Amino acid sequence: MTPRLLSLAVAAPPLAIVVWLFFLPFLSSAHLSFIRDGEWSLRNYALVWRLYKLDVLYTLGVSLLSLVLVIGIAALVCGYLRLVGHRVVEFLFKVPLFVPFVVVGHGMRVLLAPRGTLNSALAQVGLIDLGDPPSIAFTWAGIVIALVWKNLALAVLLVLGAYRAVDEAYLEAARNLGASTFRQIKDVLLPMAAPSLVVASAFMFTSMLASFSIPLMIGGGEPPQMLMVDVYYRINYQDDLGTANALGMVSYLFAMGVAGYYLRTITVRPV
Amino acid sequence: MPRPHPGTLIRATLRMAAGVFVAFIIFAPLSSLVIWSFTRKWFWPHPFPQELGLFYWRKVLEGDLFRALQSGFFIAVIVTVLTLLLTIPLAYLLARYPVPFKAAILLVFLLPHAFPQLPVFVNATTLLYRAHLAASVSGVVLIHMVGALVYAVWTMTAVFRSIPASLEEAAWNLGASRVKAFFTVAMPLATPGLIASTLLVFLYSFDEFTGTLLVGSPFVLTLPVYMYRTSVGYELQVASIAALILMVPGLLLLVVLERYLKSEYLSMFGRI
Repeated sequence: MTPRLLSLAVAAPPLAIVVWLFFLPFLSSAHLSFIRDGEWSLRNYALVWRLYKLDVLYTLGVSLLSLVLVIGIAALVCGYLRLVGHRVVEFLFKVPLFVPFVVVGHGMRVLLAPRGTLNSALAQVGLIDLGDPPSIAFTWAGIVIALVWKNLALAVLLVLGAYRAVDEAYLEAARNLGASTFRQIKDVLLPMAAPSLVVASAFMFTSMLASFSIPLMIGGGEPPQMLMVDVYYRINYQDDLGTANALGMVSYLFAMGVAGYYLRTITVRPV
Repeated sequence: MPRPHPGTLIRATLRMAAGVFVAFIIFAPLSSLVIWSFTRKWFWPHPFPQELGLFYWRKVLEGDLFRALQSGFFIAVIVTVLTLLLTIPLAYLLARYPVPFKAAILLVFLLPHAFPQLPVFVNATTLLYRAHLAASVSGVVLIHMVGALVYAVWTMTAVFRSIPASLEEAAWNLGASRVKAFFTVAMPLATPGLIASTLLVFLYSFDEFTGTLLVGSPFVLTLPVYMYRTSVGYELQVASIAALILMVPGLLLLVVLERYLKSEYLSMFGRI
């Protein structure tokens, strides 16, 4: 057997699994989104437009807000870690990397529910009234907090790596000219690490759009919902594959947009 | 002894405060789980549990939770073994030979992480039903492998690339066959990367939720799905114990391997 044939034979079984259980279902998802009552139609999309407009905006809003918070906090925290250094904080930020998404969902639910541990603790110092406890869980804020908590670890890891790759000479020059820590972050580290930040943002935005277990556990019971929760409910409670797949198509389009943007930035600006 | 400058003292205090603040943020949701797991009775609006104890730990470790843990562990082991068997030869060839469509092959494995999984897995469940594999352990293993393959292919390819080909060439020159050189030269040198990808694949499978929920229901129950069901059913003690057990492998890894894992592997863990 020639090496070419051998390598294709070795590649075939794992590729077959991905093609069979991801690529084909992806095509079938696209196909079924145009089928209603056994015939081709756009009615599924009309239904998505009528019922789920707000949910699409809500999903984009929650993901964008979470992303801005994650990147903003990571940019500043990593600047501090790069310029001043704090080993304890650096280690602590790695912890959420190893906490699975479902556990984050449950932990935040227990912490942020109206009768959760946070309200319980705040009531001890008299900050809130337990007769009418505020709820962060089951609102958009709960989803944002959980997504930020989980993704911050990844963002800190990636951004810190990019900051560490910035040559010390540039920072020294900035310090000699009297730049404060904040100015060094804003004018040296951030611009020089921008390509890595774009990569991290693109990846995290898609994963936030597509997040399922966190909004399922901590999102509210009423609309608007995150898109993936809508897809799941549409299948579980309405048994409506057409609309569920049309919703899926909307999410694929966003993911493709992000992937396209990402590929363009890394090809236009060679890192 | 010279007295410390007041500025340094303030700075040291601020550093401490920053550490405490971050620790609070990170551990707030996790410590809530610990409290709930040891709670026997906690009636609202009492600030602390009225009764603490190991009651629920003892109860759940004999029941459904233990069975979910067992089947989840079993599935994760099968997924890890199959994934590595399928990908190590492929990764070696990709690293060493001009395999046709190399970039495309590497990208295909990335697809399940570049697109939303839930709607795709809904349709994959239909396909598995047709093959009589849905709601079975084999179906869950397959759906886990869809997402896990990329971790093994990418890390193993990078590892084999980092081993100089000249070492194997030396073995060939001394009369070793290509297969023998692979097993006696390349594989031992690739051990650290092999350990990293084993852990990645195992953790991915052990923590996988979406695919298991869709494909495994109603017969195959792993720990994440069990935890989800108990959490939304307000069995908070049981769910918290399940959540803590789910965190154990990951946190052990963090503590033990933090020094040895390269940051690119660490960043892969964050996607699980």
